[in-house]
Amino acid sequence: MSESKLQQAEVAALLGVIERLAGELSLAEEPARFTTALEDGAPAPGGGGAPGAPGSSR
Amino acid sequence: MADSPSLAATAAAIRQGRVSPVEVTRGCLDRIARLDDRLRAFITVDPDRALAAARRLEDEAGRGQWRGALHGVPLAFKDLCVIRGLPTSCGTRTRDYFTAERECTAASRLLAAGAVCLGKLNMTELAMGALGDNPHHGHARNPWAVEHCTGGSSSGSGVAVAAGFALGAIGTDTGGSIRLPAAACGITGLKPTYGRVSRAGAMALSWSNDHLGPMARTALDCALMLQAMAGPDPLDATASVRPPDDYAAAFDAPVRGLRVGVPRNFFFQGLDLEMEAAVRQAVAVLATLGARVEEIRLPDPQVLNDITSLVSRSESTALHGGLLRERPHELGPFTRARLELGLSVPAHDYLQALRLRARLARTFTREVWSEADVLAVPVIPEPAPPLRAAIEGPLEEIVERQGRFSRLTRPFNGLGLPALSLPCGFSSAGLPLALQLVGRPFDEATVLRLGHAYQRATDWHAREPGLA
Repeated sequence: MSESKLQQAEVAALLGVIERLAGELSLAEEPARFTTALEDGAPAPGGGGAPGAPGSSR
Repeated sequence: MADSPSLAATAAAIRQGRVSPVEVTRGCLDRIARLDDRLRAFITVDPDRALAAARRLEDEAGRGQWRGALHGVPLAFKDLCVIRGLPTSCGTRTRDYFTAERECTAASRLLAAGAVCLGKLNMTELAMGALGDNPHHGHARNPWAVEHCTGGSSSGSGVAVAAGFALGAIGTDTGGSIRLPAAACGITGLKPTYGRVSRAGAMALSWSNDHLGPMARTALDCALMLQAMAGPDPLDATASVRPPDDYAAAFDAPVRGLRVGVPRNFFFQGLDLEMEAAVRQAVAVLATLGARVEEIRLPDPQVLNDITSLVSRSESTALHGGLLRERPHELGPFTRARLELGLSVPAHDYLQALRLRARLARTFTREVWSEADVLAVPVIPEPAPPLRAAIEGPLEEIVERQGRFSRLTRPFNGLGLPALSLPCGFSSAGLPLALQLVGRPFDEATVLRLGHAYQRATDWHAREPGLA
């Protein structure tokens, strides 16, 4: 396969994945929700959420 | 066993007056002068300014003035961090490819904590590539076996720490570029949470996936470096405003009861047998320390790899497309091909990928962190392969090899999660094997704590390559 055909095949595969999954997205889902997902998933400041960490409740 | 002390031990020895900043710095510079022609860890060594800084720090120490936890400790920085007075090639042919008004925030914070800058480290061209080759500055060489890959893109950072040229280094990680060289070179490297360490003053490859982090001998060393590097920065809008935890203080807590998840899917498929055995043995050690090890199923990591790749390709071409258009002959074939690929991604699909990434991050938090506190997985699918064979052949084979080598690290760039690579054994050929510990967002403290506990129970991290 030539270099450009290889590139086209790789991009097509990646775009296929995006197209397949993007149909499930709601109108409320936007890129900025990534950073809020990190903040929301974090343990409380100053203490890990894992057992033994300062501030852990488990 | 280690002949040369770790960063933490050296910092303590300086503080106690058992060794001086000048002695330590001169020791690193002598070693670089003796061995780096062979290993190619550095692009720029800065001996005069390093010794001048060490003398200033020694004078201050003599007067009882201490700048911080890294007073007098020699470090080196990947050649995409802007350091005043030194070129920043970013692994390209152009001496000053990247410039910025201000010095790299992470590096300047380390220097403010008392570190000495030895110089700038080799890397793959534009931080693309997982193997450690560079057509302009020479291929970095693995100190454990010079004919084998170092891992990339922070190749020089991995080599410099493993070879004892520097006690720690800054690496950057867009798809695994801290953890891959850490794993291949037998050292410890942390990709922190996205936004934990400012990206200001460091060349971007992909704004959405770039992370700066520490590379050093041990988890404790990484904790000391991260403590200095982390925190809010008005110069980087993506830097989190969360205050950093006290990472070393968290080491006092026990690891008993921590839930360690070992994925059933993806991460152990197609793995080299020695690598799999070493990682599973490392997990068994965690269990003996009191961790509760449980098998879990993860949301499809290959989808994350695909989304992360598409975002990286788009953003890197937006950033570095000028070089591709104006001076394509200066680029190596692999870098050129990766940049060209980004031209084929429509804006619509790039934005859909970013929306999907946000959704997957939420799904992962909901499904995984309700069952585990830390994930334990391999870093690389096999020990570092021979360099020549890995970088030669048709482009499609090179692309496939690079993608395969980073398939176990890239998902955590897309998710932005903290991930620590640490040594967990050696292959029968004498090449390092490595374990990856992954935590909740901003829970570097737990990841480092578990890594430190593992390193107190084992001695893989203390082994050094036999360099003459």
